[in-house]
Amino acid sequence: MKLTLKAVIIAITVVIVSVLYSGLYTLEEGLQGIVLQFGRPVGEPVTEAGLHMKLPFVQEVRRFEKRLLVWDGDPNQVPTKGREFIWVDTTARWRIADAKKFLENVASEAGAQSRLNDILDSVVRDQVSSSELVELVRSASWKVPEGEALKEIPKEREEELKREIARGREEITRTILTEAQKIIPQYGIELVDVRIKRLDYVESVREKVYERMISERKRIAAQFRSEGEGRSAEILGTMEKELRQIRSTAYRRVQEVQGKADAEATQIYGQAYNKNPEFYAFLQTLESYKEKVNENAVLILTTDSDFYKYIKNANPSQVRIPPAP
Amino acid sequence: MTEKPTLNDMLKKIQQQFKRFKGGRPVVILAAAAAVVVVVVLWTSWFTVQPEETGIVQRFGKVSRTAGPGLHFKLPYGIENVRLLPTARVLKEEFGFRTVAVSTVPGEKTRFDSRSTYTDESLMLTGDLNVIDVQWIVQYRIEDPIRYLFQVRDTSKTIRDTSEAVMRRAVGNRLGRDVLTTGRVAVASEVKTEIQKILTSYESGVRLVTVELQDVTPPDTVKPAFNEVNESRQDKEQTINKAQEQANREIPKARGVATQSISEAEGYALERVNRAKGEATRFEAILGQYEQAPQVTRRRLYLEAMTGFLSDMKGLYIVDKDQKAMVPWLPLESSGQPSAQGRKP
Repeated sequence: MKLTLKAVIIAITVVIVSVLYSGLYTLEEGLQGIVLQFGRPVGEPVTEAGLHMKLPFVQEVRRFEKRLLVWDGDPNQVPTKGREFIWVDTTARWRIADAKKFLENVASEAGAQSRLNDILDSVVRDQVSSSELVELVRSASWKVPEGEALKEIPKEREEELKREIARGREEITRTILTEAQKIIPQYGIELVDVRIKRLDYVESVREKVYERMISERKRIAAQFRSEGEGRSAEILGTMEKELRQIRSTAYRRVQEVQGKADAEATQIYGQAYNKNPEFYAFLQTLESYKEKVNENAVLILTTDSDFYKYIKNANPSQVRIPPAP
Repeated sequence: MTEKPTLNDMLKKIQQQFKRFKGGRPVVILAAAAAVVVVVVLWTSWFTVQPEETGIVQRFGKVSRTAGPGLHFKLPYGIENVRLLPTARVLKEEFGFRTVAVSTVPGEKTRFDSRSTYTDESLMLTGDLNVIDVQWIVQYRIEDPIRYLFQVRDTSKTIRDTSEAVMRRAVGNRLGRDVLTTGRVAVASEVKTEIQKILTSYESGVRLVTVELQDVTPPDTVKPAFNEVNESRQDKEQTINKAQEQANREIPKARGVATQSISEAEGYALERVNRAKGEATRFEAILGQYEQAPQVTRRRLYLEAMTGFLSDMKGLYIVDKDQKAMVPWLPLESSGQPSAQGRKP
């Protein structure tokens, strides 16, 4: 009797505990729960964290994330409008907006991921193939800077750079988002954000781009060297000009100074010698005789020369003293 | 709080042993069980928060409060749980490289790994459709631990994705040249603002501390070509300097030489004029005296001059004026040494 009472008490306790245990459930912050009765969703999803009640045994709770979730697609090789193949890697944020729909349509996060893969991949593909590569890279509002920065870019590419682009990266991402948002809500999913994470040339194109970059660099290098040589020639030219100017100015000055001196000297001589030109001629001739003569010279004089006129005759009658001028 | 289950197990074991010793009497068992419960309750009713951390207490999963550093009490296990987050610490995400080992020894270098595995993160297209390798870091703090935990799952992945998308956009809106040189700071600050805006819109509870560009380089294949440009820039300078050097060497010298020749000319002028004046004066002096006795002076001057003149001659022939006919056959070219007087015919 005592034993049965004890057993009954124990049994009742067990029942109460298990009813409580089954009738109460906790919901972690950041999660939402949906109550299922025999597998069928009942009532609105529970979004408030904390302790909640449900019908014991007949109802169960499925918990889903309430937080913002990550979708990270595999990089896709997609051709752009300009037929360039590029790798596009997109990433998206999403959350479970309607737990009931979510449960009915995709059941789990894995299901949602694969559904997102399908939808986003195709939307991204559509958008990328209908855009130019530049449009994917840049914002529409971006203006190519002028002046200095463009110096290193070859002329023909400058044209390409400056071309206005219809849509920019933002616009394309926005379109991807709106396009995807048209389809996605039916799965109970809210697509918050889609972004192009990476964009890269496929290997073969990349090699070509590298080659182009190298040739551009070489071109710039050649330009620098040529500029250097040009500048050098310019400097040397200026130098030559300056040298010639200096030298010729000096020459001119020398000639002027010397000429002036010569003129002055000539004037002085003229004035002096003009007083008795005949005597000057005589004196100057004698002076010039005194100059060193050729040592091998032989002179033949006749006895009627002034110098030797006395050699034959002490008083040559025909010799007469010339009158003074 | 991982030690709690182990603690439980331990207590259970003790309890079992206890039971074996005492022969399983119910009262003892109950007492032991009660003791275990009390211990567990007490043991799980407090927690400590480190200075850099914040504790978030959840009652039945719902956030009830946060706790700063120090000792705190809570309702026991199963009712209240606590999560600790390093809110004061600056966390870091690296792009394009990974820090392998941060040196603890002062002076030793931190090692980095920037293998090609990470180039996927760092290679990007610039506005002029060139490829550039940008490595950067993002530092952030958990500003709002509750949002950090419960608004976004996998926050660090979200930060990474956002950073990459934003960085690529910023670089895509610039010329490669700008990113490599002057645009670095602008890129970093633009990216920081943009990432922060997006993370705030996600309510991620994250505050960016800084975004910093690390190595920004052309891709490896293209690097030599970029270096060549730098070299050519040096070459250019060098060529110009060489020319300038030559000019600097020659022009001052030429100026000097010019001044020299002018001075010399001036010297010449002085000399010339002085000589002229001197000679003129001399002539006038002689002329003055000459005019006193022209005949005699003239003859004297003549004879003086002739004496000197004739002494320098190799040979001298004095020919009688009446015998001019003999002149043609004089042995003018004879190799002998004719005396100064010559031969008399």
